[in-house]
Amino acid sequence: MTIRALEKVSVGQNGVGAFILQCKRMDIHYCDYSGSSRGMNAFIKSQLAKFASTHPQIEFAVSPRPRKHPVLTGHYINGKHKSICVKNMDSLQILKKAELLRDASGEKIRKVNKPITSITESVRGVWSPYHGKGMAV
Amino acid sequence: MKRIRIDRLSSQLLAATPARPPPSSNRIPRALAASRLSPAPSVCQTRCQSTAASPEVIYEDAGRDVAAPKPIDYSKRPLPSPHPDRALRSAKLAALHARLSLSSKIPLQTLARTLIDPSADAHPRFNNVNLAFVGAALLQYHTSEFLVTRYPRLPMTILFAAMKGYAGVPALHQIARAWGIEAAATPGEEVDPGLLQFAPDRPTVTMNRWGYVRAESKELQRYKWRRGVSSRILYDDAFGELVPGESEQSHDGLELSKQRNTKDMIVEDVAQNAHANFVRAVIGAVYLHCGRDVAKTFAKAHVLSRQLDLANLFNFKLPTRELVRLCARENFDAPVARLLSETGRLSRTPVFVVGIYSGTDKLGEGVGPSLDAARISAAINALKSWYLYSPGDTVGVPSDTLAEDAAPWKPVYVDIGEIIS
Repeated sequence: MTIRALEKVSVGQNGVGAFILQCKRMDIHYCDYSGSSRGMNAFIKSQLAKFASTHPQIEFAVSPRPRKHPVLTGHYINGKHKSICVKNMDSLQILKKAELLRDASGEKIRKVNKPITSITESVRGVWSPYHGKGMAV
Repeated sequence: MKRIRIDRLSSQLLAATPARPPPSSNRIPRALAASRLSPAPSVCQTRCQSTAASPEVIYEDAGRDVAAPKPIDYSKRPLPSPHPDRALRSAKLAALHARLSLSSKIPLQTLARTLIDPSADAHPRFNNVNLAFVGAALLQYHTSEFLVTRYPRLPMTILFAAMKGYAGVPALHQIARAWGIEAAATPGEEVDPGLLQFAPDRPTVTMNRWGYVRAESKELQRYKWRRGVSSRILYDDAFGELVPGESEQSHDGLELSKQRNTKDMIVEDVAQNAHANFVRAVIGAVYLHCGRDVAKTFAKAHVLSRQLDLANLFNFKLPTRELVRLCARENFDAPVARLLSETGRLSRTPVFVVGIYSGTDKLGEGVGPSLDAARISAAINALKSWYLYSPGDTVGVPSDTLAEDAAPWKPVYVDIGEIIS
């Protein structure tokens, strides 16, 4: 037996095969009394039910947070969470923020300075029309 | 106030103790199954700890209470796992159902059941053992047919490693994590049914795996005897791993089940095992409620679509010798290594490019800092290109023919075997 096997684990890429929405839970905090929550209360009354029914993948938790500004918090599959203070915003602005949290992957925001991120790195990089001999037209 | 008769009291306690299961064991008696279906009434325990013993505590006849012990009221004991009815009201569970895009044919109660490890609830009607068994069988079948038809020349050891890389416990653990599964701190009745429930300190049940317990399994485990590849194919499980025999230490006072299977054992990494069993159980649940084709699509989408570079699994010991044997077996000319190009032979970082030729055909090419290293890497590349031959992505698998309007099965090419075994 001259061949031995090394143990490796397969690597998954979200969206190849199946897509899993990375936001798994959204916490919605409001205050009944203070004015900074006026938009949030309108959002909860008018738009949250529709938003939640179109996103059954996300668990929504609405809870009061008296005498504090309203906050939206998204919890992600990688264990991180993202909070946005939505004080004094109107309900449409809050809806935009909720969509932002829904679309986020939960990763830290970092600068991407390579054109391609891959698990099978190319040796040569991306082809460029401006280098080499050029393209005959 | 009656006088307490200590001697009678102790004899009564002694007689009553064996009748109830030990608190460490989590086994639920059968009588509990009936009480689970209707939610347990929340009656507080009437037998309080007052030393003023009520008349039923003290028996006049010490012999009578041995014959007729007081029946245990199971309705007052907490359930080991959440009641199935609570699955309908769990937001986490509904979110998980939607996140996996499961069909509405799969009820939430079944999904809740897939989350309960046998270490949390030993009753097979409420844990995921049976679903995970179905799921594991399906998953291993689809993985193996995918690998064998896609890479017909893989050596058996690499095939086992690839099976483990796709459908083994570490890979399934990663999949469960990527699905956003959270584990409950401790299993219990009050836990949200959307959390994965297992207990690291209690024995779990490994599914009775496909494979045979070898007669010499005890010696194999103790003295690390060598196992040949042929016997691993014949006896061992889908990953070429030894099916463990009955372990002695798992049955000391921790009674799980007598009539089910005797292969209960304590697994090393309970958390990983519980996550993997959950993924298998979901596949089993998809199979039971939606059928064969949907289960296959699910396994393809979540397990087989992951990337595993099979070329990285090889670890050659004698690549040049193996290449010579391969050429002899296939009636090729004997391989010859030729230097194709070199640079900086006398420098600190020389580079040699060596090609291996059989007659006029180039079998492989390798780069290395010395002539020998380049020759060996060229031989490794030649062998890898032989072993990793693939007829392409479009090759069919045997389970395609199970569909209604499928074309008849055309046999695919599978190689005769390893070069040196």
